[in-house]
Amino acid sequence: MKVNIFEQINVTVPQERIYSRLGYAKGKTQVSKEQIEQTEQYIDQALSVITLKGAAVRIDITDFSDALVSLTNGSVLASRDLAEFLSGSKEVLFMGATSGLEIMRLITENAEGKDVTAAVVFDAVASEMTDAALGWMMNYFNNELRRENKVLTKRRFSAGYGDFGLENQKLICDLLEMEKLGVKVSETSILIPEKSVTAVAGIK
Amino acid sequence: MKKIQTLLNKKIIVLDGATGTEFQRRGMPQGVCPENWCVQNPKITQAVHEDYVAAGADIIYTCTFGGTRPKLEQHGITSVRKINKQLAVLARRAAGDKVLVAGDIGSTGRFVEPFGPLKFNEAVEIFKEQVKGLLAGGVDIFVIETMMDIQEARAALIAVKELTDAFTIVSMTYEKDGRTLNGTDPITALITLQSLGADAVGCNCSTGPQQMLAFIKAMKPYAIVPLVAKPNAGMPKLCKAKTIFEMSAREFGCFGKKFAIAGINMIGGCCGTTPEHIRLLKENITGVLPRKPKRISISALSSARKHIILEKRKTVAYVGERINPTGKKDLQAELREGKFSIVRKFAREQQAQGAHLLDVNAGAPGVDERKTLKDIIGLLAVNTELPLVIDSSKIEAVEKALRLYPGRTLINSISGEKTKYEKLLALAAKYGAMFVLLPLTEKEVPQTFEKRKKIIEFILRKAKSYGFSKDDIVIDGLVMSISSQPKAALETIKTVKWSSRSLKLNTVVGLSNVSFGLPGRGLINSTYLSILRRNGLSMVIINPCVERLAYNKKAEDVLLDKDKDAKKYIAYYQRFCGNKTLISKKKALVSSPEEKVLQSVMDGNRQEMKNHVKDALAKGVKADYLINKVMIPAINKVGDLFDKKEYFLPQLIASAEAVKIAFDYLEPKLKKSQANIAKKTIIILATVAGDIHDIGKNIVALMLKNHGFNVVDLGKDVSTQKIIREIKKYKFPIVGLSALMTTTMVNMKEVVETAKAEGLKCRFLVGGAVVTKSYAKSIGAEYAADSVEAVRTAKRLKR
Repeated sequence: MKVNIFEQINVTVPQERIYSRLGYAKGKTQVSKEQIEQTEQYIDQALSVITLKGAAVRIDITDFSDALVSLTNGSVLASRDLAEFLSGSKEVLFMGATSGLEIMRLITENAEGKDVTAAVVFDAVASEMTDAALGWMMNYFNNELRRENKVLTKRRFSAGYGDFGLENQKLICDLLEMEKLGVKVSETSILIPEKSVTAVAGIK
Repeated sequence: MKKIQTLLNKKIIVLDGATGTEFQRRGMPQGVCPENWCVQNPKITQAVHEDYVAAGADIIYTCTFGGTRPKLEQHGITSVRKINKQLAVLARRAAGDKVLVAGDIGSTGRFVEPFGPLKFNEAVEIFKEQVKGLLAGGVDIFVIETMMDIQEARAALIAVKELTDAFTIVSMTYEKDGRTLNGTDPITALITLQSLGADAVGCNCSTGPQQMLAFIKAMKPYAIVPLVAKPNAGMPKLCKAKTIFEMSAREFGCFGKKFAIAGINMIGGCCGTTPEHIRLLKENITGVLPRKPKRISISALSSARKHIILEKRKTVAYVGERINPTGKKDLQAELREGKFSIVRKFAREQQAQGAHLLDVNAGAPGVDERKTLKDIIGLLAVNTELPLVIDSSKIEAVEKALRLYPGRTLINSISGEKTKYEKLLALAAKYGAMFVLLPLTEKEVPQTFEKRKKIIEFILRKAKSYGFSKDDIVIDGLVMSISSQPKAALETIKTVKWSSRSLKLNTVVGLSNVSFGLPGRGLINSTYLSILRRNGLSMVIINPCVERLAYNKKAEDVLLDKDKDAKKYIAYYQRFCGNKTLISKKKALVSSPEEKVLQSVMDGNRQEMKNHVKDALAKGVKADYLINKVMIPAINKVGDLFDKKEYFLPQLIASAEAVKIAFDYLEPKLKKSQANIAKKTIIILATVAGDIHDIGKNIVALMLKNHGFNVVDLGKDVSTQKIIREIKKYKFPIVGLSALMTTTMVNMKEVVETAKAEGLKCRFLVGGAVVTKSYAKSIGAEYAADSVEAVRTAKRLKR
C-alpha cells in the first residue's frame, strides 16, 4: 500500500470547462474582444502560479456489506451510495490533487476587493485544473492497470456525494498522506488550501 | 551490437509478442508478482519464450518488465539483481544461439524529477541495479518499454549507457490523442531519445496496429535510428469485468506489410498477442526489405512536449532572451531567494509573443548558478513547452542542467577557450545536445571575419572527433556594438553568410548588442535582423516582447507566404495597433459624459470609470443623477444580461467593480451637496463558522453595495456568537449567510435559531454551493442562487 506522489502533473488546460464554470454559454454569451483578452490574461496569470500535485493509493477491498466497504488496511467506509458505486470492484483507488497555496493567496488577495473580476477567473481556473489533475491520475492508473488486466470505473466518487459524508475527507487525506502535498483538513472537513480535491474510483 | 546491426541491414527484425497476457492465459493468477511467478514456474516461462522463438521471433524479451526495485518491493521482493539474472538466464536458454535476448526494463511506477518526486539520479541508480542483474544473466541487448514519461525513459537509457554499450531500444506508449500521459508526441520522443543514444526508438502497447502505424509514419522522416513497433492485438475492451483484445492473429499479421511500407525496422506484439500473432506477422513481412533511416543526423531540439526541426524552418527561429538576470535587479533578488515567479512570467510572456526557444541563464552575483540553473531547468521543463537553451559559462552548471533536462537542448555556448571546450564537447556528446559555436578564445574576441573563421574551423574539427555532425552545431555570428566599432555589423554579416552558405550550418546572433549606445535601438535592431536574414541567419536571440521585432516577424511570415490569408498578421495588427483605432471610433460614438459613464458600466471599464465620472461632474451632471438615472439602471441591465446568460461572470463582476469605483468617488460629494439618498438598509454578511470559502460572499457584498445597501462584512469562518452580537447593533437588519460545505451549512441553522431564541428582529438570506431553496425554507430563511438574485431578494426584504 504505497502512496504514489505526483509532484508535477501536466494537464491540458480545460479552457472550455473554465469558461463554462464562469457562466459562458456558447452561442448566447456576448463578450467583446477586449473582455476575452482580459479573461485570457487572468487565466494565464492563474496558470503561472498553479502547481498541480497529486497523490494516489490502491487498497484492496476485503468485504462489502449493504452500506459498508471494508479495506485491507482496516479502514471501513460507511456509505450505501459508495458501496453501490464500488460494487464489482476488487480494489479502491483513492486520489487527491491540489493547485497549491500560491493560487489561493492570489484569489484571496484579489477577492477582498483588489480585483474581484480577476479573483473569480482565478477561482474557476484553479477549480477546473484541480479536477483535471484527477482525470490525469485516472488515465495514469488505467495505463498501469491494463497490464494487470484490470480497469478503473469510468466515474469517480467524492466525500459529500450522497450519503458518503464529508467527514470522510480526513480518512481519505490520511490514506493519501496529503500533508506531503501541503494539504490539511479542517475540523469541518474542508481541505486547505481550498483548491484541493479528493476522490475514489473502483478497480475492476 | 554487431550481430543486431547485421540483422537490421538484412531484414525487418521480428520481436516476440505479449508475455503478461500469455502467462495469464497459461494460469498466472491475478495480483501476483509476475517476475516471481515466472521464477517459480520456469517451465511455463521457458515454454512461452520457446513458442515465440518457434513462431519466428529474432529477439525475445526477458520477463522482467516489473523488475525494478520499486516494483518488486511492492511484492516484498528485495533480491533485484538475482531475480533479473534468473529471468535472463531462462530467456537465454530458450533463445539458443540464433535468437537474441533483450533485457526488458519497464516503468518503476513512479514519476521522475522534474515531473515527480523520484530524484533523477536515484531513478538512474534504480535502473542500473536491474541492468546489472540482466547483464549477469547474459542478455544481448536492452529494451526500455511502455514508458509513459519521457524523463523516466531518459533515466533508464542513461543507466544502460553508463554501464554498457549494448544496443538499446526505447519504446514509449501513446494515448489515443497521440501523446504520452505527460504530453510527449512520438516525434518529440524520437528526437530526445535518439540524440541521447537510443539505438532504436518506437512505441508499444496502448493502441492497436492501425493507430500505431500513424506514429511510425510520423517518426520516419526524422529518424536517424531504426524504428520499433509492438502494438496490442487491437484496442482493449472491457467484457464481463475482464480486459480483452479482439484482433485475430490473421488480422494482426496483415498489418506487417503496412508497417514495412511505413518504414518499420523491428516489429512484434504487445498485450493480447500470442505466438500465432507473431507467426503470421512474420509470414507477412518475410522477404520485405527494411527501409533504413533516411538520415544520419538531424538539426532539431525538443522539450518534453514539443520539438522544433531547425532545417525545416524557412524563417528565423526566435530565442527568447529574457530569462537572464544580467541588468535585472528584481530577477537577481528573486533568484538569490530561490524564488522563480519572474522566471515563470518571462517564460509565459515570451511564449505568448511567439518565441520558439527560451534561453536560460542564471549567472548573477550571490546566486549559486549550478543549483539555480538546474532548478530553473526543472521548473521550465514543466511550465513551458518550448525547448530550452542552456546558457552558462560554468561547466558544472551545464552538466547538471543537461542531465536533468527532459529534451534535446542547445548549449549556449562552446568557444575556443582551451580550458573548457574539451569538457563541454564531451558533455554535449554524452547528452546528445546541440551547441552554439562561439568564435572566440580566452585570448581574444576576434574583430574580423577572417579570425573568426579560423576559430570556427578549429572547433568544428574538434567537434567532429566527438562524433558531431554539422546538424548539431549552430554558429554564433558574434554581434558587437557598432557605436564603438563601426565595421562590427559587417563582420558579423560575413560570418553568418559564410557559415550558412559555405558551411551549410545553422547560425545565430544575439541581436540587441548591435545597437548598444545608440538612440532608436528598435529600428537598428529590426533593420539589422532583416539584413542578417537575407544572409542566411537561422536563429536570433532577442526579447520577443519588444513589439517591433514581434511585428517584424508577423510581417515576414506574410511576405514569405507562411501565414495563410495573412490571418495571424491581421489578428496581431488588430490586437496591438488596430485596437486604438477601434476604441477611438467607439468613443466618438459615445459622446456625452453620461453616456460614457453608462458605457463604462456596461463594458466593466474600471480603468476609465473615474475619469468619466469626473468629466460628467465637471460638465454639470449631478452626482445623484449619475447614480440613480445612469449607473443603477446600467447595473440592473447588466444583471438582466447575466440572467439571460448574455453576460458571463467576469463581465458582471467587472461592471460591479466599475460601479463601485464610481460610488467611492461620488459618495463624499453626495454628502457635501446634501443630496437626498434613501437611508441605507443594513445588511450583515458572513461566511458561517468552520467555512473558509468567501469568494461568493464577496461578490454578493460588492453587488449589494452597488445597489445602495450598507454592507457590514464580517468575513469568513464567523462564529454564531459574533453574528448575533452584530445583529444586536442594528435595527431590523438583513443577515446574509454563506456556506459552501454540507458540514458547515448546519451552522446557518444555528445562527437563525439563536437569533429567534433571543428574540432578535432581523431577516435572513442564505446562499452557497450546497444550499438549496428548500433548505433555506426549512430554517426560516430566504434563498438566493447568485449575486444578482441576492440583490433582488434583499430589495424585496427591504420593503
